[in-house]
Amino acid sequence: MSMDMTMVPAALLPPQLMQTPALLTMTGLTRHYGEVRALLDVDVTVYPGEVLGIVGESGSGKSTLLRMMNLEDTPDRGEYRLRLPGREDGNLFALGRYERRMLCAHHIGIVYQNPHLGLLMRHSSSGNVAERLLIAGERSFEVLRSKARDALDASEFPLSRMDARPAELSGGMQQRVQLAKAIALEPALLLLDEPTTGLDVSVQALVLDTLKRLQRDRNITMVLVSHDLGVIRTMADRVLVMRHGAVVEQGLADQVFQDPQHPYTQQLVHAKV
Amino acid sequence: MSLATLTRPWAATSYGFLDASAKRELRRKMLKAIAVPGCQMPYASREVPMARGWGTGGLQVTLTLVNPRSTIKVIDQGADDGVNAASIRRFISRVSGATETWDTLAASIVQSRHRIPEETLREDQVLVLQVPNPEPLRGVEPNMSIARQMHADADYGRLWLTLYEQIVRKGRIMQGAAYPSLVNGRHVMTPSPIPRWDVPKLNMAKHLTFLSAGREKRLHAVPPYTRVEPLVFSDRPYRVEDHAELVCRRSGIAGYFMNEIPQDQGGSVFEVSDSNLGIKAIRQAGGESVEIGATWYEDGEYSA
Amino acid sequence: MAYVATRGGEKAIEQAERLFRQDLGTIDADRVEAIRQSMPYLVDRVMGEASLYDEEMAALALAQTGGELSEAVLVLRAWRTTQPRLTVAAPLLQRDLLTQRRISAAFKDIPGGQILGPTLDYSHRVLATDVLEGTPFVPPAVDPAETAAPMRQPSLADWQREQGLVGPAQDSLVEPDDIPDLTREPLLFPASRAHRLQSLARAETGGVLALGYAAMRGYGNAHPTVNELRLAQAEVTVRHPSGTPFSAGRVRVCQAEVTSKEKGGYLELGFAASFGWNEVKVIAAATLDLNSAEAPVGSPVHEEFYLYHSESVEASGFCIHFKLPHYVTFQSVLDAMRDAKAMAAKGDQDVSQERQTEPAE
Repeated sequence: MSMDMTMVPAALLPPQLMQTPALLTMTGLTRHYGEVRALLDVDVTVYPGEVLGIVGESGSGKSTLLRMMNLEDTPDRGEYRLRLPGREDGNLFALGRYERRMLCAHHIGIVYQNPHLGLLMRHSSSGNVAERLLIAGERSFEVLRSKARDALDASEFPLSRMDARPAELSGGMQQRVQLAKAIALEPALLLLDEPTTGLDVSVQALVLDTLKRLQRDRNITMVLVSHDLGVIRTMADRVLVMRHGAVVEQGLADQVFQDPQHPYTQQLVHAKV
Repeated sequence: MSLATLTRPWAATSYGFLDASAKRELRRKMLKAIAVPGCQMPYASREVPMARGWGTGGLQVTLTLVNPRSTIKVIDQGADDGVNAASIRRFISRVSGATETWDTLAASIVQSRHRIPEETLREDQVLVLQVPNPEPLRGVEPNMSIARQMHADADYGRLWLTLYEQIVRKGRIMQGAAYPSLVNGRHVMTPSPIPRWDVPKLNMAKHLTFLSAGREKRLHAVPPYTRVEPLVFSDRPYRVEDHAELVCRRSGIAGYFMNEIPQDQGGSVFEVSDSNLGIKAIRQAGGESVEIGATWYEDGEYSA
Repeated sequence: MAYVATRGGEKAIEQAERLFRQDLGTIDADRVEAIRQSMPYLVDRVMGEASLYDEEMAALALAQTGGELSEAVLVLRAWRTTQPRLTVAAPLLQRDLLTQRRISAAFKDIPGGQILGPTLDYSHRVLATDVLEGTPFVPPAVDPAETAAPMRQPSLADWQREQGLVGPAQDSLVEPDDIPDLTREPLLFPASRAHRLQSLARAETGGVLALGYAAMRGYGNAHPTVNELRLAQAEVTVRHPSGTPFSAGRVRVCQAEVTSKEKGGYLELGFAASFGWNEVKVIAAATLDLNSAEAPVGSPVHEEFYLYHSESVEASGFCIHFKLPHYVTFQSVLDAMRDAKAMAAKGDQDVSQERQTEPAE
């Protein structure tokens, strides 16, 4: 059962968020794969400029939810709305395949845990970023070069290696290329699926630093999925705790971690300690 | 009344070799191809008495178009007397009764492997190009079904990326012949392995062009007065081969696409690839009254 | 200066063809008959790959191409294209086939019996060099069995169906004229079952063997057991316009049914059939059919891969087309390469290459 947001004391929500309309609204998401319940009646709201963390163990439905945000999967029931400039407000799950692709290319960026999913390993790193711009219709070689350079730079990727192939790079560098690719078109929404899982701890810290800096400088709205509470704590403003396809608790990150209400959240928080 | 009077004498083949059902399917696909310029239309592709890969696709289209009043020109690498061109031309005229010609100006149908003639083609002429691989996305996606979906989605990002990488690695686009081109602003096609020199001739041409791949069983078309734009970046202009200054050592004409002939003592000499153009120039220089038509290129520059 | 060699091309190809034909000498009806009688399995292979059953025509194709198999198949297919389509024959049922060889590796014995039929499977592969020294090989007489083998056998899969081992058969009642025909329609993917089996029926034996072998060795995920293999003759039953069915003759056919493992509670089956007797081809083809369902896209055992690449006329034609002149495209490639080299040479003088080092994360 998800906690109704209106039950949270008003004083604990930052005032400006309550006045700004939500960027992302998902309601009533339900998804089954045969017998397996992946999502059950999930509601999500994300406000512009905030970082929403989604935490849970494997099988909690967090990755399914993220895939739906990226329009890679559709639910059995439920709606998805994004408030984007110049766009009608409609259920995105109802879009045709061409519109879906164009919307994702222009307005949604994604970083996958496995760089092989997000990158073309045999092309150059700058080419990977340029591909997004090409899909959006950019046709000037110099502009492709300079925008790719800018995006890689903002992701704190060393420009001397901008034409190296991702296959030749280390894990942390590959994630930076994914990040550059994801922000190249300055999307409204950035999705991150376990972006630092599998990297060395020291490298994780550096990549998270970059993410934090980027988020602050550009005020990017992010949804970050992780099983690692430390990562969520570092990055998220608000957090959703998921278990067995349902949201068991949600609220401000600090509040949820310091004073977890739901027994499962308590378990998660105390196990970490 | 007898069986003999009721029936036609048995003939080994139909007019133009292909039977009625084969021609009907081809006509329908050819019309479809004209209706959606640059989009590949699959067809059954019947066997003909020639090996696959040797022009059976072009041949099937020509045999569908041909009638006893047609005049056909067949070239390979620009030459009418290439062995394969001669073999195809002989076959077409034998099964159709059409007239053979080497003169671009006199032909109603020009079937060609890998070149477009230098003299401009008119509204009443049809160009049939032989295509080995009709899929411009082959290098990016070898699976034909996925590639077909990419065309339907106008998903050409990875093709553009290939061109971007060429400039990054080599400083220029390295695509030799078969330069991928956008037709009518919608479908990307391969213009067949014609040199870059020939691709501009397809843009807003007066003539109809068919491109047919018999082995791969796909054909596409460029209707007259249709845009054909090679994929280039806005700040890296399209470049044809560097042949503007070359002179044909046999005929003396200059500014056309040339064949390079390596010499024993080192270096090369050049001969005009459109061999009949060279022949006409020689005959004209020898005093014969021979008509050489307007050409797409003048003094080595594209000017049509 | 006159332009020489204006007619050389035509003369050259005419003489090239004459050189080839000269080596073969006179081709007469006797030679064709000798091939037909003495090389039945070769004739069968050609008929199968040409998807045209006519022993005389196939033998003629072999005679005039000197045994060059891909040329023989091509000339036969080209002739086939010109023939009018008269009618569609009735479908063949396994239990009606006049079966001369029928074996199953799945059980020690099967209803109807294991019939070895004519085969070299158990022979010692020894060259009979005595023949060359003047002693002709006269085949020893066959000792007849006590009881003659039945002319027809039920299909093993039917017995398996009754046992619930094989899924129920779906009768598809399709009008003869509505049966998909690969020779008259383009092959698109995913292919209909009819197109796939037709394509395998006329596939090139070597190509199917290579890819089937790859599947058997592990590139596919199903290891085949031969459920039933048959070499048979089939009645070609056609219908007179007045309605009377009659036999237009008999053709040799072969088929293989293979199975590997359970899927959805039943044994999964792969199937292939062809004109003529060609065991290696149908077993390999049936294995490819069996593996198709789970083959990853782009793998050699995916139907799009093996159907495209086992096509005799297309594969051999494209292969030999590389002998055709390609100097125009080559010139294009040289042009780009020379220019890039020139640019690189100029570039070396202007800017020094940046060293690429691995920086800290």
